[in-house]
Amino acid sequence: MSVARVVRPFASRLLAQPSTPLCRAAPVLRFPRGSTRSFSQSPLAQLKKYTGSHEWVELADGGKTAKIGITEYAAHALGDVVYVELPEADLEVQAEEPVGAVESVKSASDVHSPVSGKVIKGNSVLVDEAKTINASPEGEGWIAEIEVSDVAELDGLMDAAAYERLLKSEE
Amino acid sequence: MLLQLRGWSSSRTLCGKSPKLRWLRHNSSYPLDRFAELAGRPSSRHQIYQSVSTDPYVNLSIEHFLLENAPHDSSILFLYTNRPCVVIGRNQNPWLETDLRLLHNDRQNGTTRADDESALYVRRRSGGGAVFHDEGNLNYSVISPRTAFTRNKHAEMVVRALHRVGATNTSVNERHDIVMTPDDASKGPSEPPSRKVSGSAFKLTRHRALHHGTCLLDSPNIHDLGRFLRSPARGYIQAKGVESVRSPVGNVSSAFADSFLSIPAVIESVVEEFARLYGVHSDAVLRARRAHASEPEIYAGDSWVTGTVGDIQGEQVPKIWKGIAELRSLGWKYTQTPRFTFSTYPIDEDPRERPPLPPTLPSSTRVFLSLKHGAIIESHISVSSDPSIASDQAARVHEALNGRHLHEIMLSQWTEILRRGLDGTQDEDDGFIRELAGFLDGLLGG
Repeated sequence: MSVARVVRPFASRLLAQPSTPLCRAAPVLRFPRGSTRSFSQSPLAQLKKYTGSHEWVELADGGKTAKIGITEYAAHALGDVVYVELPEADLEVQAEEPVGAVESVKSASDVHSPVSGKVIKGNSVLVDEAKTINASPEGEGWIAEIEVSDVAELDGLMDAAAYERLLKSEE
Repeated sequence: MLLQLRGWSSSRTLCGKSPKLRWLRHNSSYPLDRFAELAGRPSSRHQIYQSVSTDPYVNLSIEHFLLENAPHDSSILFLYTNRPCVVIGRNQNPWLETDLRLLHNDRQNGTTRADDESALYVRRRSGGGAVFHDEGNLNYSVISPRTAFTRNKHAEMVVRALHRVGATNTSVNERHDIVMTPDDASKGPSEPPSRKVSGSAFKLTRHRALHHGTCLLDSPNIHDLGRFLRSPARGYIQAKGVESVRSPVGNVSSAFADSFLSIPAVIESVVEEFARLYGVHSDAVLRARRAHASEPEIYAGDSWVTGTVGDIQGEQVPKIWKGIAELRSLGWKYTQTPRFTFSTYPIDEDPRERPPLPPTLPSSTRVFLSLKHGAIIESHISVSSDPSIASDQAARVHEALNGRHLHEIMLSQWTEILRRGLDGTQDEDDGFIRELAGFLDGLLGG
């Protein structure tokens, strides 16, 4: 992936920020995630994003791949997960299309991919231990790893604060 | 927005947005081909339908269409009855949850259009366990906004409807099922504390929640429906996915020893409780209550749609016929199955003691299959007691089995595959090759 592609996701935010694209792009490629949390203007704080249907997507270092899963809130709301339908490698998904499904308490729920891309693999831990989703929905219980086709799509998703506000408003 | 006026609404002419809606009249009858459009109309906040079809593929696909296409803020009640069928949950295993030998064999000729009377095998899109349906079982389905949904909401609605017709000993249990608890006086010594009369399953989408449930009102098969749900291969299969929880079942009608339970009365009662729960317009309720016609008909007011639907929607609405084709496809029915193993001897993943082999087979016979997406990815089939011969046999059989879909292997294929793999044994051994093929076909195909 070229630097230009990494730059693009942040371009829209630049409308409100007086820096140049190159200044913003560099840290994405170099800094490990989490090291600049206090620097609120940094794109690094935006690496993890959330959807209105309660999925998360987290870009890996380098911004080419991402892990996808369901949020703490969703895992709690669904109850005990008994089975996870994982996507096969190489499945091409569009943003908001199903990238898997979760069954809990007689309920089948689709998991929508927050971004478009190609599936690298499903999380095989969930084949034997579906409950991992309840124990660690935003960690060990990730559902799929995908190759992100357009990092700019993350721009349209909620950051942690916005997602938090959504949860409050839905209460 | 449509005007809340009685009689003709001429304002549509002035707006002129949609010529089709121009003469929309309050509470009027519509041609059937308007069903999809009315169901998806943004103002159709309340919808009540009954199906005149008894085809489970059609009814589940009309239901799925409503889940995907009705406005996000709408609430929908859909009632239907299916011809005899076994319906398993989305993540279940038909070889484990049903007796395929008793069901219409769609594997033989690749068709699910059963002309015979035998029960059908169906995999639904919602979660949960396996259930049996027949003409004495009323299915209710409520599709509503996900935000206001709870898993007991609509089971409780149905319980209120059952109480209203006199079945006052029904209640919702901790599994979101409806059970009937007989009073102590009428209980026999072997009678369970309660019997399940209704099972629930759910499908959740981004904005919508579908809750559908069975309700055994007066099933003629009540005493032996368990046989459809008992697999001959149960003792050999270890499966990922969702296993059914077995419960003793009963008919609601059994509580009416001296009186008569009328299914139309239950339907009417469920419609009334749904209308009360969601504040449905009284015109809609009137229309829905009168919908006993055997012919499809659609009525709509400004905020509601009601009527009877059926096979015709399956033919007219492309999204519905695509849904029907998917549910009927052998891919959906068989290869959607979570991973499982079949083994005639204890293995690490499944150390249970196994039922004895048929006495006509050599006691050294070993059969192990491991399947993913309904296809064989690992196997060991051998008859020899000599480990090195057995290993050769297993390798040759696996060459023929590897990657094959289990549902495509009929008796003749088993025979052929085993003959090829176990070749080198004596001619007189062909007897137990045929024996072994029959044994496997009986457990896995039928």
